[in-house]
Amino acid sequence: MKTIRFGLALAVLTAPPMSSAALQSQQTAEEIVDRVDRLLRGNSSRGTVTMEIVTEHWTRSMEMEIWSLGTDYSLIRILSPRKDAGTATLKSENEIWNYLPRVDRTIKLPASLMGAAWMGSHFTNDDLVKESRIIEDYDIEILFDGERDGVAVWEFTLTPKPEAAVVWGRIEERVRQDDLMPVWVRYYDDRGELVRTMVFGEFQVMGGRLVPAHMVIEPADKPGESTTITYGDLEFDVGLESSFFSLQRLRDDRGSR
Amino acid sequence: MLAVGYFSVVVMWGWAEGLVAEMIGNGTDILTGQVQVHSTEYNPDKSVYETIGGRSGTDVPTLVAQVAADPAVAAAAPRVYGGGLVSSGSATVAALFLGVDPELEPQVSRIMRALDRGRQPEPGTNELLVGAEMARVLSVEPGDEVVVVAPAVDGSMGNDLFVVAGVFRSGMADLDRTFALFPIDALQMLMVLPPTRIHEVAARVVDPWQAPGAAERLDALLDSQGLDVVAESWTTLRPEMVEYAQLTQSFQWVLLAIVFGMAIFGVANTMLLATFERRNEFAVLLALGTKPSGIVRAVFFEALGLGVLGLAAGAAMTLPIMVWWHNAPPDMSWLFGGFTMQGALIRPVLRVEYSFTMAVYSAVALFATVSLASVYPAFRAARVPPADTMAGR
Repeated sequence: MKTIRFGLALAVLTAPPMSSAALQSQQTAEEIVDRVDRLLRGNSSRGTVTMEIVTEHWTRSMEMEIWSLGTDYSLIRILSPRKDAGTATLKSENEIWNYLPRVDRTIKLPASLMGAAWMGSHFTNDDLVKESRIIEDYDIEILFDGERDGVAVWEFTLTPKPEAAVVWGRIEERVRQDDLMPVWVRYYDDRGELVRTMVFGEFQVMGGRLVPAHMVIEPADKPGESTTITYGDLEFDVGLESSFFSLQRLRDDRGSR
Repeated sequence: MLAVGYFSVVVMWGWAEGLVAEMIGNGTDILTGQVQVHSTEYNPDKSVYETIGGRSGTDVPTLVAQVAADPAVAAAAPRVYGGGLVSSGSATVAALFLGVDPELEPQVSRIMRALDRGRQPEPGTNELLVGAEMARVLSVEPGDEVVVVAPAVDGSMGNDLFVVAGVFRSGMADLDRTFALFPIDALQMLMVLPPTRIHEVAARVVDPWQAPGAAERLDALLDSQGLDVVAESWTTLRPEMVEYAQLTQSFQWVLLAIVFGMAIFGVANTMLLATFERRNEFAVLLALGTKPSGIVRAVFFEALGLGVLGLAAGAAMTLPIMVWWHNAPPDMSWLFGGFTMQGALIRPVLRVEYSFTMAVYSAVALFATVSLASVYPAFRAARVPPADTMAGR
């Protein structure tokens, strides 16, 4: 799935406020999914995020500061642990650059590594880069409309359009009806096997907007492994320009504060 | 005809053996080694976490010495594997990293000896060797600095500056494009692996076909010491090469059957003409009381004599050619370049391998040929009517 991804961690910062009145109106499946999709996009933002990665072999936690502008630009700088502090990733349109403070060098990721894990997490570099709108790539159907655990929800199934160049063979998504908050998203491969699940939680108003402040991604083939993202502070519409997302800014730790 | 048949089969078998030997040699000598020892969990995923002896590692010098002590093993060396990025300027490539002991590794594999320019990396330094194609993509030469990034086993992102000590050219496009070789201690430091943690001990066996036996012995030895490792020979690691060798051998039997099968008709025809011309002689012998079985024996022994002469002539033709093409094989690289087969580089050099077995089998086939070829002529000779033949009727 191109849209609900690690970019989510960036774009959720810029979620447009949801009007409950709007939610009451009659909506098609496409409109609902598009609204959720746009919930996770937006204009400029800044925030801090804690990423906890659990693998079979190690567990680590990273604090990061993130700036984003729409879906084209983002800058992620690791604040802790100390060993990785200052390491930064810049996404500028379809390119990803990494800054390595230990050697004071900037490297551009080759296209062949887009599928590789980002900083050892269960997100890929590709998750950062992809940006097309979900309704452009998928046909959407409502699979379920009713209550789950006492909460009114919709469950959607998204199948790729024939011409769409997408990674996933199918996506399933549950959305709460009252506030259009996503509950979980399941990603399946071309053979219909579950690849990973993203679970959302701790819905709260941050920066004046309702957002899921907690996200967990769990790969299906690695039971017990997960990457959890928890938002700290969020600011919206912070007035960033595209010029902010430069290689100079990537290297300059102080300049982005 | 018999001599030419013998020569053809033995030389073509020698060429085929040479091709298989070249394939096995290059498929295992360049990098793989003929025997590998690693954690039982290492293959097939080749996880960087699966080091010999687990997280606590093992006594590497002792383990290497034990592997090298096997009677079939000529040399052994420890290895660490990893993967990551090598970057220079605006160019970055994904690479496979191999940490090697710069002193031991050249005794096990040829990759470090395939130095195109520069020198070997020094132990304990941030130096590396890169393949020729990688060097071209990165636009680096010996002495240039590159950034190396590798996921470490503690989850961090290991990164450091390294100097390109040299550039190797193995002739294998994949190796030259994707491999970077480090001193083992430098790669261990980058990947946050202590010196006791390695992924593999690779060994060279003088005769590749002794590798399965060596692997079995090492497996038993290390298992008795409680090490959770497995020793595998190239026949297990590269089964496709074994299958190709077997396929080639089966083709040689077909060749042998075709060549001597054709010879049977030629020899039989010659002997038939000879017995026809000598029918008066056989008639006289029969008239003098020689039994038909005696005539059959005479023709048969003449055929065996023919076989001995054919074998002698064939051996006289074959031996010098075999010695010549074994020691100074025709080099066809002026006509076409090297190629890869079963993942191994094959040089266009028509080297023959000595095959005593095939020389014997061919000799047996030669005598079987003359024996079979003599059956019908002997039968005809034994049935010559003495009176009519001597009367010229």
